[in-house]
Amino acid sequence: MRKRIANVVLLIFVALLASGALAQSGGELRFCLRSEPKTLNPLLMSDDSSETIRYLTGGVLMRVNRLTQELEPELATSWKVADAGKTITFKLRDNLRFSDGTTFSADDVAYTVQQLMDPALHSPTGDAFRSGEGKVQTQLLSKNRIAITFPAPIAGLDKLFDQVAIMSAKSPQKEMAVLGPYFVAENKAGAYLILKRNSNYWKHDAAGRALPYIDSIRLDIQQNRDIEMLRLVRGEIDFINSVDAEYFDKVMSENPSMGHDAGASLDAEFMWFNQVPGSPLPSYKKTWFTSTNFRRAISEAINREDLSRIAFRGRARPAVGPISPANKFWFNSKLQPHPFDQKSALQRLSLDGFHLQNGVLRDREGHAVEFSVITNSGNKYRERMATMIQQDLTGIGIKLNVVTLDFPSLIERMTRTFDYEGCLLGLVNNELDPNSQMNVWLSSAENHQWNPSQKTPATAWEAEIDKLMRAQASTLNSAKRKEFVDKVQQIAWDQEPFIYLVNKNALSAVSPALHNAHPVVLRPQVYWNIDQLSLGAEVARNR
Amino acid sequence: MHLKLSGLAKLAVKILTVVLLGGFLGATLVRLAPGFGVDEEELDVRLSNESIQTLRQAQTTDQNLAVFYFHYLNRVLHGDLGTSRTLQRPVSQLLAERMPETLKSIGLGLAFAWTLGLSLAIAIVMSRAWYLDLGASLLAGTLLCLPAAVLALLFVLAQAPARLVLGLIVFPKIFRFSRNLLARSSSLPHVLTARAKGLGNMRLLVWHILPPAAPQLLALAGVSVSMAFAAAIPIEALCDLPGIGQLAWKAALGRDIALLINLTMIVTLVTLVANSASDLLGQSFHRASA
Repeated sequence: MRKRIANVVLLIFVALLASGALAQSGGELRFCLRSEPKTLNPLLMSDDSSETIRYLTGGVLMRVNRLTQELEPELATSWKVADAGKTITFKLRDNLRFSDGTTFSADDVAYTVQQLMDPALHSPTGDAFRSGEGKVQTQLLSKNRIAITFPAPIAGLDKLFDQVAIMSAKSPQKEMAVLGPYFVAENKAGAYLILKRNSNYWKHDAAGRALPYIDSIRLDIQQNRDIEMLRLVRGEIDFINSVDAEYFDKVMSENPSMGHDAGASLDAEFMWFNQVPGSPLPSYKKTWFTSTNFRRAISEAINREDLSRIAFRGRARPAVGPISPANKFWFNSKLQPHPFDQKSALQRLSLDGFHLQNGVLRDREGHAVEFSVITNSGNKYRERMATMIQQDLTGIGIKLNVVTLDFPSLIERMTRTFDYEGCLLGLVNNELDPNSQMNVWLSSAENHQWNPSQKTPATAWEAEIDKLMRAQASTLNSAKRKEFVDKVQQIAWDQEPFIYLVNKNALSAVSPALHNAHPVVLRPQVYWNIDQLSLGAEVARNR
Repeated sequence: MHLKLSGLAKLAVKILTVVLLGGFLGATLVRLAPGFGVDEEELDVRLSNESIQTLRQAQTTDQNLAVFYFHYLNRVLHGDLGTSRTLQRPVSQLLAERMPETLKSIGLGLAFAWTLGLSLAIAIVMSRAWYLDLGASLLAGTLLCLPAAVLALLFVLAQAPARLVLGLIVFPKIFRFSRNLLARSSSLPHVLTARAKGLGNMRLLVWHILPPAAPQLLALAGVSVSMAFAAAIPIEALCDLPGIGQLAWKAALGRDIALLINLTMIVTLVTLVANSASDLLGQSFHRASA
């Protein structure tokens, strides 16, 4: 009998815990931003710090659940995509208020969309919605229903609204009036930001308690990662959202319960060769770099397993292609990372007339194969990878020179002078939908790095990718889109304009004092469920 | 009086000319630096070709240096210092927010450095204790050898106030100069005689040792301000102190010409004003004592 009672009590306790009834309210959550937010206007945010503020303060119509990768209703209770992906109709929640008390209605959604799509604004979030020429129409169907019509169909239209923080059309506070769990209460330039709990936030937990649990958030601007780590260990901050492999190992050695490895992230590290016809490179080098056999051979001569194991201390996975295996739906699971096979690499090179002569690889005309790869200075992982690739390539008689440049100089060479041979860089990917990579894969795009802004596709396979990317962007059927995107991944795997190297793991460090944190792969890894997080009783009391 | 005013006016013109030249030189260096006129944001894959072109177009307005400088000076005359490209905010606002932080750091650092440096120098000269001299010289020598960045990191690890690092950077120079100056003064014949006749230490110091060293000490005060300003850049950047040193570091990394030109002019102005003020004070002290 006693055992039964104990079981019932335990069951009630677990149920209460799950419902949040026992979550500690109050206190101040503390973590660091790596730089000062460039803007607090949610429509213009493009840097990490600004996006953090948007996530913590902005109310969105729907949100991609970072754990399940599924779309969930937020300010909109329901929505419907129609007109072959051109129109989306939202039904909004009633009786909601912004942080300053102004009421929320369909007018605010219309205002936000009109602001967002203003061509003069050049908003990165707005640009993701631009699929064709023409104006966006907003139609107020009632106080809480609105239809938005875009000039052309947009694939994955609904998921794009995850990034759109709704602004008030009427509030005198303009973008500072928010619908999210917190609002910006203080901004000490270059030092810190204080966010306070939005008392008008609409969400409640299962027990009926108003969310969020934590009263305020202090975001210290801390560029120095050593100091950030030190502060975490001392208990001055509660988590580090994104930790690199070396610091992660330090965290694990200090307190293993603090480290969280969510597995391969969406971000990829890759290298590519300059294939710009007008670049100031000798013509024989241009011939090398435009050869598929050459690129494939380089790819096969690189030991990705070693890059993951040594450069990233085992906290990375060999990469396959433009879509990470972490992207559950869109990844083409038929593809595998290119194997490390230097014999096969030499065979491929021989098809193009390359041959080994006294341990030095020479092309058909007798030029020794030697090239340089630029990467950004100060990124020790890229520098390590470059050194390891240098070592790998000596195995097939190639001399690689590694050149580190600061970021502005690197971008100048990549986008203006095209005075480089190869480049090693990474892509930070925040979105699951492959449409977000449209500006990389279209041959006419500025970010088609190996040969940008082509008037007509330079190769047949680039023309094929253009066709497939456009086809997936104008199709609503997910299965059909997946088919197109799989083909793009296959072509990218075969042709290797980008030689994908590794997908870094999503690593974070969380203090045991922070409850209900479940770090995930998608950004923001730790605080994606910010309104559910709570602090331990002692920490909450002391702050 | 008239002569004094004309001298001051000449000095002001000299300072203004050097500041303007310093600004122009700063702008030229930024303009010629590789990577000028590019923005990291261009690599944002969400941006359309049109937005990237607009971003690039915005950078080309600063391409012609002479035109840029002329427009800049014209704007300054109207009270507009321009807008920071990297932080997307008016430069005047950024300076107003961050200047107090740097002034606080420099003020505290200089107060610490002068109190410690001058006190030790006086104690050594007055006591003539070799062990004190050896200890203080070793401390100053060690601090001189340690790079500012290492000192800053040590303070961060020790959770000590980072502002004191500035004081420790300036301290060895103040200590060594003032110790040498005071030692020279104390070995003057009349001081030796006064000491031999049993004059009290305090009177000896105030009336016979400090006055001959005062002009040089004032010159050192001017130099110490510019030393502290120069040290503030790496210290603020490393210790994440939100002052103009940190701002200058970010501006240099981002090739932010509007911000850099203003910061160059401010640092030049502060250095010149501090040095000129100490020179003037030294001269007046000299004249008064003569």
